[in-house]
Amino acid sequence: MFFQSHARTAVLLFVLIGLVLYAATGSYFAREIVVEIAILAILAISLDVAAGYGGMVSLCHGAIMGMSAYTYAILSVKFGLPTLPSAVGGIAAAAVFGTAVGWITGRTAGIFFIMATLAFGQMAYTLIFKSRWLGGDDGMGGLDRFDLSWLGINLGDSLSFAVYTVVCLGLVYLAAAWVLRSGFGRTLSGLHSNEDRLQALGVNTVIHRARALGFSGLLAGVAGILAAQHTLYISPELLFWTVSGEILIVVILGGLGTLVGPIVGAVLFVMLKHEVSEYTNHWHMVVGLVLIAAVLAGGRGIFGQIEYWAADRRRAGKEQSAEAGDA
Amino acid sequence: MRNKVATAALLAGLGLAGTAFAETKVGVILPYSGTYAALGNEITDGFNFALEEAGRTADFTIVQEDTEVKPPVGLAMARKLVLEDEVDVLVGVVSSGVLGAMRDFVDGAGVPLIVANAGNDGATGESCSPFITRVSFSNGQVNRPMGQWLFDQGVSKIYTLAPDYAAGHQMIAGITGAFEAAGGEIVGGEFTPFGQTSDFGPYLINAQSSGADAIYVFYAGGEAISFVKQYGSFGIDTPLYGSGFLTSPLYVAAEGEAAVGVTTGLHYVPTLDTPENVAFVEAFQAKYDRTPSEFAVQGYDAAKLLMGAVDAGATDRASLAEAIPQVSYTGPRGPLMIDPATNNIVQNIYVYETVMGDDGTLTQKVVDTIEAVQDAANGCEM
Amino acid sequence: MDAGFWILQFLNATQFSMLLFLLSIGLTVIFGLLHFVNLAHGALYMLGAYIGISAAAWTGSFWAALVLAPIAVTLIGAVLYFTLIDRLRSAGPMNQVLVTFGLIFVFIDLVRIGWGDVALGLNAPQVLSGATDLGIVSYPTYRLFLIGLGAMVMAILWIVLSKTQIGAMIRASVENEAMAKALGINVGELFFAVFCVGCALAGLAGVAAAPVLSATTGMGISILIPTLIVVVIGGLGSLEGAIVGSFIVGFIETFSAAILPGLAAILTYVLLAAVLVLRPRGLLPARA
Repeated sequence: MFFQSHARTAVLLFVLIGLVLYAATGSYFAREIVVEIAILAILAISLDVAAGYGGMVSLCHGAIMGMSAYTYAILSVKFGLPTLPSAVGGIAAAAVFGTAVGWITGRTAGIFFIMATLAFGQMAYTLIFKSRWLGGDDGMGGLDRFDLSWLGINLGDSLSFAVYTVVCLGLVYLAAAWVLRSGFGRTLSGLHSNEDRLQALGVNTVIHRARALGFSGLLAGVAGILAAQHTLYISPELLFWTVSGEILIVVILGGLGTLVGPIVGAVLFVMLKHEVSEYTNHWHMVVGLVLIAAVLAGGRGIFGQIEYWAADRRRAGKEQSAEAGDA
Repeated sequence: MRNKVATAALLAGLGLAGTAFAETKVGVILPYSGTYAALGNEITDGFNFALEEAGRTADFTIVQEDTEVKPPVGLAMARKLVLEDEVDVLVGVVSSGVLGAMRDFVDGAGVPLIVANAGNDGATGESCSPFITRVSFSNGQVNRPMGQWLFDQGVSKIYTLAPDYAAGHQMIAGITGAFEAAGGEIVGGEFTPFGQTSDFGPYLINAQSSGADAIYVFYAGGEAISFVKQYGSFGIDTPLYGSGFLTSPLYVAAEGEAAVGVTTGLHYVPTLDTPENVAFVEAFQAKYDRTPSEFAVQGYDAAKLLMGAVDAGATDRASLAEAIPQVSYTGPRGPLMIDPATNNIVQNIYVYETVMGDDGTLTQKVVDTIEAVQDAANGCEM
Repeated sequence: MDAGFWILQFLNATQFSMLLFLLSIGLTVIFGLLHFVNLAHGALYMLGAYIGISAAAWTGSFWAALVLAPIAVTLIGAVLYFTLIDRLRSAGPMNQVLVTFGLIFVFIDLVRIGWGDVALGLNAPQVLSGATDLGIVSYPTYRLFLIGLGAMVMAILWIVLSKTQIGAMIRASVENEAMAKALGINVGELFFAVFCVGCALAGLAGVAAAPVLSATTGMGISILIPTLIVVVIGGLGSLEGAIVGSFIVGFIETFSAAILPGLAAILTYVLLAAVLVLRPRGLLPARA
């Protein structure tokens, strides 16, 4: 179950405002970092919905995002559609792909589910990589951002675009939180904690899992559109399984099943990567060591660990006051 | 800042006014991690070596960024170098995918880019730009001359193999077009899944039973090593030809005896017997204790072009973009100039055979030279 | 396409299957027995290749490398076991995935620092280089050696698992750990031993594959996917599953490459998806 605690709201607002301020006061590259963080955070929220609440650890979220980005590019570049319907089409494609994967893999669990999603993601990657029409590994260019000049906003400007991605991140968070608090969110958590019982109650778990992955895919689709609009160029790299692996790392690093944690994880991951790569070309190793340390430190992720400590203190506090009451 | 002024004043005082006053800021954008890290390092070494050799490291401020061979990362880094570090010129780019991602931005921002590897034909074809100058090679350029050459050697039927990605397709298109134009026949060919193929056995057997006089392939890096070794172990009697990356000095030692007798075409061979090259190889070896590869030479020539442009009086982005393609000189790989129609390099292609040297290590024997190979405009409008 | 063509492709497929088997058997038994998702298994394979190449250079003997590399990789595995693996056994698959993902990053960069970014090769020993005449066809001797090596390991593992007491203990522990403990089996020692054997086989696969392939920093990641596919298709934890999975994947990859190259890149994934839809726990899972 998902609770929007005060602590979560506070951290969320702190991070979102912090990102906007960092973009506003920082240099050009600071804005690039903000965009990178926002896109990764949206993907991580999307995966947290599936993995943290639905227990579906997917290794195809990179591919889902890529489907959205490629559909956006196909509709706008190949078919000349305006950007807005192209974006809607892209997000819809991601949702459909997510639903399809969820439905087909509905009976698999654990490592088998991970592998099945990996297989579908890699299939999508391979098909796009091989497609001459889509430019193969050379990718596709010629994309556009939304024209928001009627609002007086020029998305071509790096600051406006950075703020726009942070706003999208906020909206995605709200959408995820809203859905998780609905009845569907409760069913989803039930799926995670006790699938057998739900099945015994006559709930068609496959359909629910498909819907959950579809919704998760929809959110990842938003990230795909942003990624395409950010670089104005897309390549099959987006769909490769290691991208999905990276998203999973961010979720776990931040705190699985907390929704705010993945955002914190994205901030830390991107910052760490850029800071370390200033000094060495071996930043992967440093990231690897941080991951190992994070797990050995408790495995709850950074935000998850903080919440755990807070809960611990609250529990201790309650016990104390209970004792005081006894006396 | 103070240092720079001091140096300039000192040089002026010594009467060395010919040396550029203002430093030129160079953004070097190459892969330093990921699959092509070895190429990134090799190009960087060649580039730095040229500056040091000319004693001009002080004239250039260098900012290095890692593309990780990922197009979005490459683009982000190019933007960072141009918008934040405000470099005057970009040098580098190994992968064509990264070049494709950067192309519109570089062109729009009006920043000169010296391409030191990426061979995509289109980059100096339909999507060429007055700001993008390529000093390395184009995929077609390296392979096209081999078509006529092979046919002249009496080869009339070939079978082709290459990895299934854009560069692989362009390399093979280069050879098949030219070979057929010369009168030869392509009896078959396959594109192998890129990065997924470790066992070339199935393809080698197809090639052998195709009835071809020769097998012509493009592979590079780890795939080249695996391919050549497996070709050797099957004892296939159909001779092997290819684009010269197949037996690059960078990894030919790992291929071992299987590489002996493989004949390929490339824009640089370290055993080239010209005074320029002999001096270059000797000096490079003295510094780095290894034979320079074609990638090192690409980096070296990128620096030569840049220095040539600065010498011609270029100081900012616009003047550098104009001056860089004007530079021509005779270097390690022979005479080199930039085609004004496409900004692609015009250079010799050398046909070389990998042979066992007297000291028991593999070396290259140049068997033929096709001079001044120039690409057609391919839809390029500057 | 004559008989010779089919025989050669059959041998290619067998050779590739054997390589996959050497890698997947360790992974699957560690999965099945320790419930541990070791994504760094591919990285151990990579270490086997690089260490093997250095060992061959130092000793001047391929055979020494063939022995030394698995030993070195086993030692690395033992260190991993006591520092990380044992601690993480009850930490859940997510944390295991994360730590072993981190280990991949660490190992790749260690190899880059130690051996550089340029791909390396290893020469087969003189006895095994060249091709052997098999009557209708001649086939690379080294590949025949790989097939023999795989078959030998397969036979030894089969005998150990099905005929010895240790094998019975392993099978009992895979089947039901609590029961095995109750029967007085020292599960901790057993796990450690099995983990070491898995690492040794990964190292052996690495050094044995080096003369055919090349050693690159990407080899650990690129072999990981086919190996995981073998394990999942076969079903977790069983020798039979690993054998069947290896042969299915090895033959499909080889014959699609030979006959339907356009589909070669994708057919294995289609197969994996199909198996998981029809048999969500793989073809021959150890536990019913």
